[in-house]
Amino acid sequence: MAEIVAIEHPARRPEGRARPPAGAALRRWSLRGAAFVYLGLFIILPVGVLLQHGFGAGFANLRDALRTPGGSAAIRLTLEMAALTAIINGIFGTLLAYVLVRMRFPGRDLLTTVVDLPFAVPTLVAGVMLVALYGPNSTVGGWFEAHGIHIIFAPLGILLALLFVTLPLVVRSVQPVLLELDPAEEEAARVLGAGRWTTFRRVMFPALRPAIAAGCLLAFARALGEYGAIVIVSGNIINKTLTAPVFITELLQPSAYVRTGGPDAAAAVSAVLFGLAFVLVLITEKLVHTERS
Amino acid sequence: MPRWFLSRVGPALALLVAVTGTACSSSSAATSGPCTPSANPVVTLAAYSNPYAAYGKLISTWQSEWKDAHDGQLVQFLTSFGGSTTQAQSIINGLGADIYASSLAPDVEMVQQAGLITNDWQHAKDNSIVQSGSVVFDVRPGNPKHIENWNDLTQPGLKILTPDPAQSGGAKWNIVAAYGAAMRGEVPGYQKGNTADAERLLEGIFKNVTVMDKSANDSLKNFESGNGDVAITYDYQLAAAKAAGGDDVLVEPPSTVQVQTPTVVVDENANAHCVADIAKQFVDYLHTKEAQDIFASTAYTRPIPTAEAAKATDFLPAVKDLFTTDDLGGWDQLVSDTVFGPNGAFTQAFQAAKG
Repeated sequence: MAEIVAIEHPARRPEGRARPPAGAALRRWSLRGAAFVYLGLFIILPVGVLLQHGFGAGFANLRDALRTPGGSAAIRLTLEMAALTAIINGIFGTLLAYVLVRMRFPGRDLLTTVVDLPFAVPTLVAGVMLVALYGPNSTVGGWFEAHGIHIIFAPLGILLALLFVTLPLVVRSVQPVLLELDPAEEEAARVLGAGRWTTFRRVMFPALRPAIAAGCLLAFARALGEYGAIVIVSGNIINKTLTAPVFITELLQPSAYVRTGGPDAAAAVSAVLFGLAFVLVLITEKLVHTERS
Repeated sequence: MPRWFLSRVGPALALLVAVTGTACSSSSAATSGPCTPSANPVVTLAAYSNPYAAYGKLISTWQSEWKDAHDGQLVQFLTSFGGSTTQAQSIINGLGADIYASSLAPDVEMVQQAGLITNDWQHAKDNSIVQSGSVVFDVRPGNPKHIENWNDLTQPGLKILTPDPAQSGGAKWNIVAAYGAAMRGEVPGYQKGNTADAERLLEGIFKNVTVMDKSANDSLKNFESGNGDVAITYDYQLAAAKAAGGDDVLVEPPSTVQVQTPTVVVDENANAHCVADIAKQFVDYLHTKEAQDIFASTAYTRPIPTAEAAKATDFLPAVKDLFTTDDLGGWDQLVSDTVFGPNGAFTQAFQAAKG
């Protein structure tokens, strides 16, 4: 399903360049043209090449990739982890945004900045940090290990890495909407006897819903493609902790070419991930749009 | 639309949570504590990335042989592939690998120093080496820059690709190859046994290095996509790329190092998982004729004994002067002193080339 949607999206070129009317129209068109060219060069063209490599020979490459040991398990694990990431960060990202916008406490500005930190930290470094903190041989990780909870080199570690990397997406998507909401409505609800939770659920949540959904889907899409943090924390055990992005890089090994389509198989799997992300972004836009209009 | 989303997708996601939850808890059943051999043993192998296809075949072959000899018992393998040094660090950080297939001995020593390997792997059969190859040049069709020997790499304006030795364990092989060839007097214009000359060769080469990728594999990919005039790489990796249809041309330098990759049992983990015996038997199997043939046909490697390795194979040319790291004083000396040490030939040459 995902691939079909992606294929149906050819590069659109601006039309009707003939008969340029007045100078204003020309400027408008050149602005539009610049936007299209930019998008075409940096997004549509590379994606087109990816699709051409991955599906130029039909679905054979994808089939090859999925037949490679661990291929389908890697995609499944990636989808599960991304979904969990979206849900958990959906909840806690919203909570964070609420606390940051509606509550006054010392260090609030600092905390607001800290939320953006995951964007600035190279994800590989995030992975190294998590291993140092939760690795089986660290103090904290060792305690969990002794109680039978495996974090690093287990799915839980992948989840932690993804939560770290995608946290700002939900917070930053909910925050501006929350800022625009009139606190008077909440106060009115409180005055009329609603508790904090009821106020949130009945008054704020309906207004925030599209923003939360958008943040969740962005987090999901981002989690699908994460490589740097995961490659360190997961241990990349085939059928157990190998995720799709890491699997894709393994397909690129020259020694794997012979058995699979190599780069073409990698392109096919990438296109599936990309297709999923693309569909999700479309849904997000639709959600936000319907809610606003 | 959002209501639709919440009512339809919500339960599906909740189900996912449940499914993943059970997946997590089942993975926490890894054995530890008193050693009682499991009826369904699980062996974890952490390997460097190159022998991906070879280990797939080796494991399935060994598994069926074991099954026949042990009343139908299936030994399950969990495998992980990645950079050699990265894998070593993961094992030290607690990745419970029972077997470690490394691309070079110093990485195994790292794991050993962490106390996880207690067997005398350096003095085991074949010194624990299971794969061998050589460092070669990957050039454009027709070899337009006439690259035949190490000194040809110093010609002005040449663009060389070799991985970053700070990141890639494999990159060290390339440097040791050039250093050794010079020290053995096999490079025209560089005096035998002259450290200053070897340093001069490395400096000349690294002046021309335009791209330092993070792994040997990335270098090769980069070269195949049109970058540079020559990539320094492993012969077996090049043979794999050629088998996949690349137009790479392999040039075997007259004098080069024999790449030797050890595979060892990580005793601490294997004992904890109660699979020490099985792990050892698998590693022993890697040294058999059958396994070596699989390595040669799948990973295009050379035989383990150096004299044998210097001969031409079905996929690779003969080497005139194939030397080993032991001929240069051993890895310890190369890493801590002569080549990569603070005043080592590479350290000095690299500073001079990039300074």
